[in-house]
Amino acid sequence: MTPQELVVRMLPPFGGWLALAALALPGGSPLRGAAVVLFLAAGPGAAMVRVCAPALGARPAEEPVERRDPDFARHSDLLERLMLVLFLSIGAVMLVATVLIATHTFSAQRVLLTLTLLTTLAAFCPPLRASPPPRTTPRTPKGSAQ
Amino acid sequence: MPGSDPETSSQSSSPSSSESSSPAHEPVTDLSDLPPAWSGRRALTWPGVPLLVAMALWVYSVRHTDVSRLDDYGLVTALHPAFWGGLVVLTAGFWCTVRDPRRPGAWAAAYVLGLLVMERATQAVLYPTPLYAWAWKHEAVIDHLLTAGGLQTADQVGDMAVYDQWPGFFAAQAALVRLLGVESAAMFMAWWPLVSSLMLLLPLLLIYRTFTEDRRLIWTAVWLFYVANWVGQDYFSPQSVAYALHVGVLAVVLRRFGRSAVRRGRPRQAVWTVVITVMITAIVISHQLTPGMLVVCLLALGLSRRYRDWVPVVTTVVIFLAWCLTAALPFLSAAMPDMIRSVGDVGANVETGYGATPTGTGAIATSWAARLLSGSVLLLAAVGVLRQRVLRHRARPLLLVAAAPLPMFAASSYGSEMIFRVLLFMLPGAAFFAAAAILPKVRTLAADAAAQQAGGRQAAPAKGRWWRPGAWVPSAALLLGTLAFVPSYSGKDRINYFPPQEVALVRQLFDQAPGGSLVVAANRNYPHAYASYWSIDHYWFLDDARSHVDRIVRDPAATLASDMAGVERPARAYFLLTQGQLANSEMNGQLTGAQLDRIRTSVDASPRFRLVAENSAGWLYELKQAGGAER
Repeated sequence: MTPQELVVRMLPPFGGWLALAALALPGGSPLRGAAVVLFLAAGPGAAMVRVCAPALGARPAEEPVERRDPDFARHSDLLERLMLVLFLSIGAVMLVATVLIATHTFSAQRVLLTLTLLTTLAAFCPPLRASPPPRTTPRTPKGSAQ
Repeated sequence: MPGSDPETSSQSSSPSSSESSSPAHEPVTDLSDLPPAWSGRRALTWPGVPLLVAMALWVYSVRHTDVSRLDDYGLVTALHPAFWGGLVVLTAGFWCTVRDPRRPGAWAAAYVLGLLVMERATQAVLYPTPLYAWAWKHEAVIDHLLTAGGLQTADQVGDMAVYDQWPGFFAAQAALVRLLGVESAAMFMAWWPLVSSLMLLLPLLLIYRTFTEDRRLIWTAVWLFYVANWVGQDYFSPQSVAYALHVGVLAVVLRRFGRSAVRRGRPRQAVWTVVITVMITAIVISHQLTPGMLVVCLLALGLSRRYRDWVPVVTTVVIFLAWCLTAALPFLSAAMPDMIRSVGDVGANVETGYGATPTGTGAIATSWAARLLSGSVLLLAAVGVLRQRVLRHRARPLLLVAAAPLPMFAASSYGSEMIFRVLLFMLPGAAFFAAAAILPKVRTLAADAAAQQAGGRQAAPAKGRWWRPGAWVPSAALLLGTLAFVPSYSGKDRINYFPPQEVALVRQLFDQAPGGSLVVAANRNYPHAYASYWSIDHYWFLDDARSHVDRIVRDPAATLASDMAGVERPARAYFLLTQGQLANSEMNGQLTGAQLDRIRTSVDASPRFRLVAENSAGWLYELKQAGGAER
């Protein structure tokens, strides 16, 4: 693992623990707000996208018929990853908060702690490998000479 | 694309048909076919000038706009003229920038961000308190969740239990309020229109980039989407987040659930189903209508051979049904008879309901501006579909998505709001084809090559035709649409804005009202209208039968005292009349200001009421109670 990969992997959980630490700051403080909002808007999604990245990129996306800009597809994929980081984070916050409130165990600190733990767990998960494409040629029977 | 599609064989658009220039023999149909006026490095950087000028004018205008005395035109007449100048400069700068292929795409993005600031941040900067009674209502729901610590049923909170059955947005906001350490969501909800609009940017770009590489078409569609999205569902609400997620799911499905790659022997990865499942679940637990809209959009997509993958629609239906049959069952079982009755009653579903008839010159003018804006964008979209044959073929899935919400008219009135919601959900597709209508025709690759060859034999340069009226129509359409957004979106700010005095007066009421008290008001258009709804009762008499409203108008103090008499000590009964209620009643064709003033005078003169508080924004009275129950 390169240092860059390590940073990408550990940044989301670090953001979570930083947000938890920021709760010690006074209510309404801009630093506390920035740490919390940044983590809630990007942390869980970034962790999920990192784990799923190889599988997510295994197949090219649908593209316009005209293909003139060689970087167009790459830029679209980048925008897509950014969108997923944001929307998966929002989805995770909503789901965790709803589960806690539905089970009468809600507290904001628990929401943040749960998300941080999940993000930390994801940081230790290996990347999800893409499923292989189906074989198009018939299998060679065992023992047959090739 | 299916194998039979002509696109797959030889057709494609011209290179930036796109982005560079039109064939020489073609007459100029649009300014975008003209060569750029400037060249070299200056051409790369000059877009910054109009953008900076527009932003400077905006800053100047918001510093010189007084919102303390809004008239029936809302913010339109209150805004400093520099605002309009800034909007014109911004639109002109965008239109010139986006059509020059040599300028980096980041400039178009910068202009769209500038538009969002001018459109969605102006109110947050100008008004000292958050807009919209509905946003204040949602703040009360968050307060309820924080107070109760869990979800409650109709036995405990009455009709408001519906919010406990779709709690996703409120639960997340409750956590945010506590984590930020602020008193309530009112501290940040004024900025939500900007936040929720920004959330839409990425999925919109992805959707448009699925069908074209033409930067002009992509960014003009995004621009038109934002100027046509005046409906006002971007405020602090579950709809705003659910809508962004809805557009996000569509973007993923359009990009990842097509069949092109499958045909190339590259199966779709199951992880994409997991990704949309998270987003769909977040939608389902937050909002009632959006999953239905998503289902019809995905079903419509299934009509296209390119997207005949039923996994997204089945996933949505399963999650939606699972939620409806468990957590949301109490609400649905109670509301089902009405919902079934409204199915097929298109006329009633399209009506906007009593108390929503614009009254007064300002209200009527701004209402017509909104209708004209929506009508024009839909008309432009129709022109785009008819005119752009190639694009109609290539982006057929988007056309289906745009048309899909229309049948929802037959399904429900959705509290007299269905027409606005249908418009909202049609917009991503409609804006794309509307943009196509004001841009040059997209050609197939074969047609473009043929035109190039023919152009070599003809020497009819395109230059010099820019003064033709047809060349200016697209610019005028874009500018008028952008300007029309302001009255459409902010024309009713006299109703939606509650000055700090009004907030303070209502706050004073709830600070002193004991549990079990009753608050009587003309309507619910005031801040904190739902504060403490789990312990304090409300009665908005304009919601009552017309015969009873007439009785109140005839004999205000006696009728209201009779309505409020059932409250027993230590609870109290209050009568609250505020500026927001007056504006809402007047501008929506209910009671006039004179009638409401007569009601207040009657209450003021009555020995049965006592004035508790008053300020420039309203009056608060308490019904005098004789020892125990009066009734």
